[in-house]
Amino acid sequence: MIVSVKNLVKRYDDLLAIDHLNLTVHDGEVFGLLGPNGSGKTTAINCILALLEYDKGEIEIFGRPMKPEAYDIKRHIGVVMQNVAVYNELTVEENINYFCGLYVADKKLRQELVREAIEFVGLQEFTKYYPKKLSGGLLRRLNIACGIAHKPKLIILDEPTVAVDPQSRNKILEGILELNQQGATIIYTTHYMEEVEQICSRIMIIDKGRSIAVGTKDELKAMITLGEKITVESQRITAAQLSALRRLPNIVSAEYKNRLLVIKSSKGSNNLETVLEFIKQEKIQFGKIYSELPTLNDVFLEITGKQLRD
Amino acid sequence: MQVFKLCLKILKKNIRSLLIYIVLFLGISTIMASSASTEQNTDFSFTKSKARLAIISEESTPLTAGLQQELAKIAHLVALPDEIEALQDALYFRTVSYILRIPKGFSEKIMRGQPVKLHKTVIPNSYSNAYLDLSIDQYLNSARLYVEQIEDLSQEELVQFLQKDLAVETAVEIKTNDRQAAKQTYSQYFFNYLSYSLLSILILGLSALLLVFNNQDLQKRNACAPLSTANVNRQFVLAVLVFTVLTWLVMALLCLVFALKDGFTVNILYLLLNSFIFALCAASISYLIGTLVKSPNAIPAISNVVTLGLSFISGVFVPMELLGKQVLKFASFTPTYWYVTANNRLASLTKFNYTNLQPVFTSMLIQLGFALAFFAVALVLGKNRRLQ
Repeated sequence: MIVSVKNLVKRYDDLLAIDHLNLTVHDGEVFGLLGPNGSGKTTAINCILALLEYDKGEIEIFGRPMKPEAYDIKRHIGVVMQNVAVYNELTVEENINYFCGLYVADKKLRQELVREAIEFVGLQEFTKYYPKKLSGGLLRRLNIACGIAHKPKLIILDEPTVAVDPQSRNKILEGILELNQQGATIIYTTHYMEEVEQICSRIMIIDKGRSIAVGTKDELKAMITLGEKITVESQRITAAQLSALRRLPNIVSAEYKNRLLVIKSSKGSNNLETVLEFIKQEKIQFGKIYSELPTLNDVFLEITGKQLRD
Repeated sequence: MQVFKLCLKILKKNIRSLLIYIVLFLGISTIMASSASTEQNTDFSFTKSKARLAIISEESTPLTAGLQQELAKIAHLVALPDEIEALQDALYFRTVSYILRIPKGFSEKIMRGQPVKLHKTVIPNSYSNAYLDLSIDQYLNSARLYVEQIEDLSQEELVQFLQKDLAVETAVEIKTNDRQAAKQTYSQYFFNYLSYSLLSILILGLSALLLVFNNQDLQKRNACAPLSTANVNRQFVLAVLVFTVLTWLVMALLCLVFALKDGFTVNILYLLLNSFIFALCAASISYLIGTLVKSPNAIPAISNVVTLGLSFISGVFVPMELLGKQVLKFASFTPTYWYVTANNRLASLTKFNYTNLQPVFTSMLIQLGFALAFFAVALVLGKNRRLQ
């Protein structure tokens, strides 16, 4: 086990930011911490990194208690914070060299590591640039390079793709998977469900500082009743047809709004076929018809009653 | 030493703005030095001058003739008729600056040992007239002494005695340190002005450095590294000290270039010591400002207000003698005042014993006290900010 958090409680005066959080991260996995803004992701990460004092709980990393002075543990952790934290007075190369130098004293080894980190994030052409001259995406890549140059065993990335263009985001996500393949354990926090679905082997959904579900994406989706969401574009649906539709087997709900008929069904194999049969019988005119499997947003919605991005 | 090297790199990045103050200091010092050398040439040259004197004597005796002879040695005698209008015109048109009237009975009164009153009409505020007054007094006092001591003395004998006595001259060598003191006045100016440049450079440099180091995101990232806070602080303080000492060295060297032009004196050593202590105090003030400031745009404005304000009220730009009592009282709550006070005292010193130096050491200790106080306040504020 790489990280173990037991019964973590953190309060800011009257606000309970982390509410008895339990968390384990295993060696070699990409662990996603998914939750809306203000759900306690960053606070949890800050507690894990001993940057914040907490009120209750135990945190262990690499099997040893994590404390501010646990330098042997910190030596093997790489951190990429939510906000870009680099020195504007240093060039790209100098920044990576500085942060790498806090972990690696050997100058020759450090030079090699810095070169590798620059190549890894694709900043070879920008080594002599100052951060102010970089675009948002390149800046994020520099931020990542500064956190991972010393080749840590555990990498914690706190929303590293906020305000990043899709191209840079894909590059970053691919890089994270590559780091994982090279042997690093990753903790990845985000409020973008697509990202965790894309890269995380295990996901914890948190809300109001509490863990509300943990598992692989399939395990999480299996936790909810929703099996399929069918959407039909239609000019007219009568109330009688809508009632009849709701009485069909496996149908959980059917709503008609803005010329869109949205039918949610529980798990089953022939849901789409049943709906198509009904439409044919009722001679309902329709344009497009499509079916979607549940997303993590649906999981979050079903458990908390609100959208991930509310 | 990653943090130490980083600090030096950040300071190096701001070197351009710091150089402005060094160039400014150089410019003003050069102007001062050139005007100083011109003043020195004129200050110490001496030309003997004689007053223009008219003597109206209402009697003609050997004694009055003797007095006229003596005064002729130190003044140009001008003959004028004894007419009011002619005398007034002579004074108005500066034909004479001194008219001496010897009244009737003057010689008789002298010979009897009675007090005598001579009438004079002069141009006001004339330095050369003062010399004439002294000479007349000397002549009459000497005459009185002879009359009192020697019985049956004739006027001719008295005049002979007086001529002999007043002819005696003693070569006097005045051993003053006026010239040296004058030189120190210029050193004093350089060192006083150094406080403005030094404080400006330190505020700009250290505030920029602290602004970067107080960035919460960077602090957080550094805190994740396997480096103790004590280690980081040690490296940071070392960088601050190196920057302070380097800045002081550059400024002190510039001062020395100008001050040593006229030779080395012990005063310069003490002025250097005082400036070093002030540099520590300036670093402490800069540390406090750096802790308080939140935007890089605010640094030059704060720097100008603090440095110019302190310099104006503490006698850097305007001599303390010209400042009001209230202003000086207020200024005594600032370290610059004590720095300038010590400089002024040091510049006037020619003997370096404990009694003379004690006020200087007191000023230095007060500056160190200020340094400690500012640093302590900065540490408390910094800690409060971190806790927030």
